[in-house]
Amino acid sequence: MVTIRSIPSTPSSLTHLDLQWIIKHREDRCTLCGRCTSICPKEAIYLTYRRQRMPKLDILKKKRSSEYRTFTGIRQRTEPANRCIGCGMCTTVCPNEAIGPEPNPLDSRVRLLQNDKGDAWKRGGRRNFRHTLLDRIIFNRISMLTDPALDAGRHEFQLNTLLGRVLSPEEYLRRKASGEWIPPVREIFPFVIGSMSFGALSPNMWLGLLQGVAYCNEVLGIPVVMATGEGGCPPWVLKSPYLKYIILQIASGYFGWDEIIRAIPDMQCDPAAIEIKYGQGAKPGDGGLLMWFKVSKLIARLRGVPEGVDLPSPPVHQTLYSIEESVMKMIQSLSMAWGFRVPVYPKISGSTSAKSVLNNLVRNPYASALMIDGVDGGTGAAYNVSMDAMGHPIASNLRECYLDLVAQGKQNEIPLFAAGGVGKNGNVTQNGMALIMLGASGVHIGKYMMQSAAGCLGSEQNRCNVCNIGICPKGITSQNIKLYRRLDPDQVAERVADTFMAISTEMKKIMAPLGRSQSLPIGMSDAIGIDDDAAAERLQIKYIC
Amino acid sequence: MMMLQQKGCRLNISVNCPLYAYEWSTIVSPRKKTTQKKKATTVLTVKGLDNNGQRISSQKFEDIVQAAAQKSKKLVLETYGQHNVGGRLMPQGGPYHLTIRGPVGQRLGCMGQPGTTIICEGPASDDVGYLNIGADIVVLGDATNGVCNALAQGSVMINGSIGARGLTMTKWNPDYDRPELWVLGSVGDTFAEFNCGGIGIVCGVEAKNPDNVLGYRPCVGMVGGWIYYRGKTDGTYSTTNVKEIEPDDEQWQWLMERMPDYLEKIGRPKLLKTLSKRKEWKILTAISPQERALIFSGPMPMSEFRYKVWDRAFGGDPLRDLAPGLDRSPIGLIETGDLRRRQPYWANHEAAAPCTFYCPVHIPTIDRLRLIRDGRLEDAYELVLKHTPLPGSVCGHICPNLCMEGCSRQVVDKSIDVAMMGRAIKDAPPPKPAPNVNKKVAIIGGGPAGMNAAWQLALAGVEAHIFERDNKLGGKLAQVIPWDRLPKAIWDSEIDRFMSMENIHVNFNVEMTKSKFKELQKKFDYVIVAVGTHEPRRLPFPGKERVITALDFLKSAKSDNPMKVGKQVVIIGAGNVGCDVAFEAYQLGAEQVTLVDIQKPLAFGKEKEAAEAHGATFRWPVITKEVTREGLVTTEGDLIPAQTVIISIGDIPALKFLPDSVECLSVGGAAWIKTDAAGQTTEPNVFAVGDVERPGLATNALGSGKKSADYIIAQVQGKQWVSFDKKLIDIKTLTTEHYAPDIECGVHVEGEAYRCLSCGKCRDCHLCETMCPTNAISRREVPTEVGYEYISDPEKCIACGFCRDTCPCGIWVMQPF
Repeated sequence: MVTIRSIPSTPSSLTHLDLQWIIKHREDRCTLCGRCTSICPKEAIYLTYRRQRMPKLDILKKKRSSEYRTFTGIRQRTEPANRCIGCGMCTTVCPNEAIGPEPNPLDSRVRLLQNDKGDAWKRGGRRNFRHTLLDRIIFNRISMLTDPALDAGRHEFQLNTLLGRVLSPEEYLRRKASGEWIPPVREIFPFVIGSMSFGALSPNMWLGLLQGVAYCNEVLGIPVVMATGEGGCPPWVLKSPYLKYIILQIASGYFGWDEIIRAIPDMQCDPAAIEIKYGQGAKPGDGGLLMWFKVSKLIARLRGVPEGVDLPSPPVHQTLYSIEESVMKMIQSLSMAWGFRVPVYPKISGSTSAKSVLNNLVRNPYASALMIDGVDGGTGAAYNVSMDAMGHPIASNLRECYLDLVAQGKQNEIPLFAAGGVGKNGNVTQNGMALIMLGASGVHIGKYMMQSAAGCLGSEQNRCNVCNIGICPKGITSQNIKLYRRLDPDQVAERVADTFMAISTEMKKIMAPLGRSQSLPIGMSDAIGIDDDAAAERLQIKYIC
Repeated sequence: MMMLQQKGCRLNISVNCPLYAYEWSTIVSPRKKTTQKKKATTVLTVKGLDNNGQRISSQKFEDIVQAAAQKSKKLVLETYGQHNVGGRLMPQGGPYHLTIRGPVGQRLGCMGQPGTTIICEGPASDDVGYLNIGADIVVLGDATNGVCNALAQGSVMINGSIGARGLTMTKWNPDYDRPELWVLGSVGDTFAEFNCGGIGIVCGVEAKNPDNVLGYRPCVGMVGGWIYYRGKTDGTYSTTNVKEIEPDDEQWQWLMERMPDYLEKIGRPKLLKTLSKRKEWKILTAISPQERALIFSGPMPMSEFRYKVWDRAFGGDPLRDLAPGLDRSPIGLIETGDLRRRQPYWANHEAAAPCTFYCPVHIPTIDRLRLIRDGRLEDAYELVLKHTPLPGSVCGHICPNLCMEGCSRQVVDKSIDVAMMGRAIKDAPPPKPAPNVNKKVAIIGGGPAGMNAAWQLALAGVEAHIFERDNKLGGKLAQVIPWDRLPKAIWDSEIDRFMSMENIHVNFNVEMTKSKFKELQKKFDYVIVAVGTHEPRRLPFPGKERVITALDFLKSAKSDNPMKVGKQVVIIGAGNVGCDVAFEAYQLGAEQVTLVDIQKPLAFGKEKEAAEAHGATFRWPVITKEVTREGLVTTEGDLIPAQTVIISIGDIPALKFLPDSVECLSVGGAAWIKTDAAGQTTEPNVFAVGDVERPGLATNALGSGKKSADYIIAQVQGKQWVSFDKKLIDIKTLTTEHYAPDIECGVHVEGEAYRCLSCGKCRDCHLCETMCPTNAISRREVPTEVGYEYISDPEKCIACGFCRDTCPCGIWVMQPF
């Protein structure tokens, strides 16, 4: 029989001081409205009564007794399954600033117990590492009288970049004259909304982003494009005129491609590009992962799979065995699918082997670009070990590849796109422009868009990061309609527009003092410097202090 | 020649008039004589080339000009590319009239002062009128870039076209007139950028660029002033800074009043008619910030975009094929109704309290205590008596009270004292039985199992006939358990109550045989075997014949003629029965009792305490080798001296009377009747209850008897028998903090009733109703057994879980929704 009085102790027993986030509750401010316990996505907090004993210590009285006072408060659970994730939704709904999570200043023991039933820790978010080298790269070749510094506020700027295989002028003219095929090239805004799948994101988020992209293009004249991620694309979107703002991603899971192929005859326009995903920065060597919580009826229908099953995509495409083969097979096939009118490019995880891939692409006439995704990329679901320990920071990876192209004289031909934590601490334009001046033709931003356009709560302090189990309290990465209806697609779209307008302005503020307005300063590495000697050496830029 | 300016009420007399000095103020000053010497009016010429034909530097040239200006107010400057010519001629010494001949450098008239007039008899270079604060400059030819940059006052008149970035950064101090730039032809790109108040007049005659007289992107950042223009443009003017209007009457009059003077100054008076056609002129005028705020609320609002552009492109919801009818409209963070992610459920009576769960008879003690709280003492007694006929004897004395080992009240102070409560029932009358249903059941054995089976059947209106071997009821309770543990007075009164029940018929001194059994099977509808275990187990070691069985010993001890015991007694088997034996041995005169066992003694509770209180000791592990006259010899060779050796290693059933159709199981070297969950044997109408089915405590026997009786009653009534299947309540769901520990526990029945936590059954305390933040919970009467229910209104409930967290009895639970 259960002995009620004893408190069982197990290896997994925790106190609230062992958790990563500690709930601070002020009873004097609490209005007992119930909203915090209602909203908490992890059911980490509950109302509790505590009986306090107040012994009557009157020495002259003979009778001994205690009085009792019951007080009511919100406390947090200490079971690992219900641990506070620090999202702060309780603070959002509290009418009187009575409750909120605080990061534990000491080490949290939860990390050591997050493998219940042998299941290794999985989460969403980025690598839990708060710094980014890109923040330290600053622009220091200012046109101070040496050439006319331009007026960011009043002059006209050409901010766009090219996605596609750019032929050399002689070759272009030759082919134009002879009527040969000219590789398709798109003029796009150099900040691309990176691949986040329809499935990883909720319908309201994904469609809200696309609506914002359409608005940027059609109302603001900013040619932003967005990549779909691995989950396919809703057929009505494929058949809409907005397809031209979309980069369709094909990955090892091939989700949604039956619908895409089926829709080709009905497409009103071509997609912006095709992105072949071989890897992603957040979890290199691992495929996409959509856990069963998020394979709702809608997602299952779009992806062509049964409801409620885990969808771990294989790390590699199952019929590809070498770089050459991958490049030839897939790029050519996908190029052919749209009559060679659409740029096709591979996306790889940052890696010390990226140059090998690049060199193969240079030789391939159909390869339109190379996208390298660095270690700080975000994801909706990955094993923590993959996220924190696997990958390559983007700056030196991109730089090496670019310098390799320069050595071959091909830097103007095959654009490089970079990603992986761009805008991690909020400095999205600085980070992006630093990468552009290191040699990127543009950057992809994913997690940054979630934060800027939808109010994502996640951070590299491991705040929230429950994207993988579909309980996102903001409705960004959940397939539960009761959660994702909290996110208004119109508001997301407005924030997308705000974000890109601000990036445009900041780009001008960076380019104008450098004396550039008529073309994006791709590879203008003489304009940047860093206050770290070793990094400067590695990136082949100036060391400034 | 005089030129009057109407605005600003100032007089500005130009060159050929008598000298007037004026102050740097806005007030028209009356004529004032200066203290300066009257300057000569002869014209002085300054050359820009020296005697060697070399160009004099701009610095030197300026010195010479300044010196000349001291002597004469009329100067002719034969420049040769010198820069900054014509400025810095202070108004006090003026007015000055400069004629420029020869190629002039940049910044002609730079920092020009009021009172200076400059006529350049040819084209000029960049930046004419740079930072001019009042000079009037006429260029009889084209000028190049940067004309009137930072112009603040004065005028520049061009007989030709100008280059890029003209009239930029101009200022206007409202104390002075607006600065003006007049251009006969066209202007270059980026005209009037950041113009803050100057007036530009572009006539479009002999324009350098007739297709675009205002250049590319004029007026970017222009915040004040206006531009008159005539001629074609490319429409690239900054629409966020200026708007295009037609001159109103005042503006037209202003232009027409000044046009003749301009044309005169540049020597083109005949153009007046051409330039006087009002319809050909337009004005670009700066938009004020307030106007801008009204005109430009920014790009198209998103809601408009959604309605006009986005939704239309899809012809409906873009997900309508994948998820028809999906409503994705916005909701808030705290929702009610179907939008909640979980909902509360009032799970009353669905989980069993520990007392009810662990009691083998499943006496619902919490219900009994509630009846007592409600003041219905008789009903409370009746409730218990409907479950067992022996509350005083068993619950009150000999039962280890399994019900209370798990009592939730322990968390607060102490378990409910059910023994005390059991004793209180000894005098209560038996419940009224149901009307007779004309069924008969034979019960073989009148121990607790058989008794309760009979009791339950009798209450249900079934005739129960007990066939007991002994001359009294009670089985081991009567025969074996020491009176010290089971007071005779209580026992007797409960037996009396039992016997007074209708439908119970007891036959004593009946020895059961196979043939009798068969008879019973025929005569009665059902037969219940409740013979218990009255066959002691023995061990075959040498000297076994010296050993007395515990069963025999205890029976003897309780009889009128108890057997004698030696001073030293050894008991083989240290269970609770062994302890009873030890106790009785001490009562009968033993002085040293040792209990030995092959394993750790299983004795516990009152029996063990009683034995130890008398000085009994335990020794283990001890394996008996043999028993001699001296005592017990262990396999290790020790002798434990004893005159009396008693063996107490359990009893087994004596089943000789059973027909073969009733199967038995062999367990532990003995045969036990095989039964199913209801106690039914392999013979459909034969049941086995109590120790004969499975050895246990008295309470197990009572429970077993009731269970089989319930089954039979269900059959008789044509109903489905439902066994006790409730799950034990999770103590964590109770909120015990609502209870303060009592000082007095176990004093009287009413006090105990108030201490009960009512686990799993609503105690109607209204705390949930009080605690619910949105008033969603209410109580209503319903025609069920309970009589009421608490409900949560889904339209108000926000699923905060306070009800679950507050409920003292663990009734409210939160379920996923």
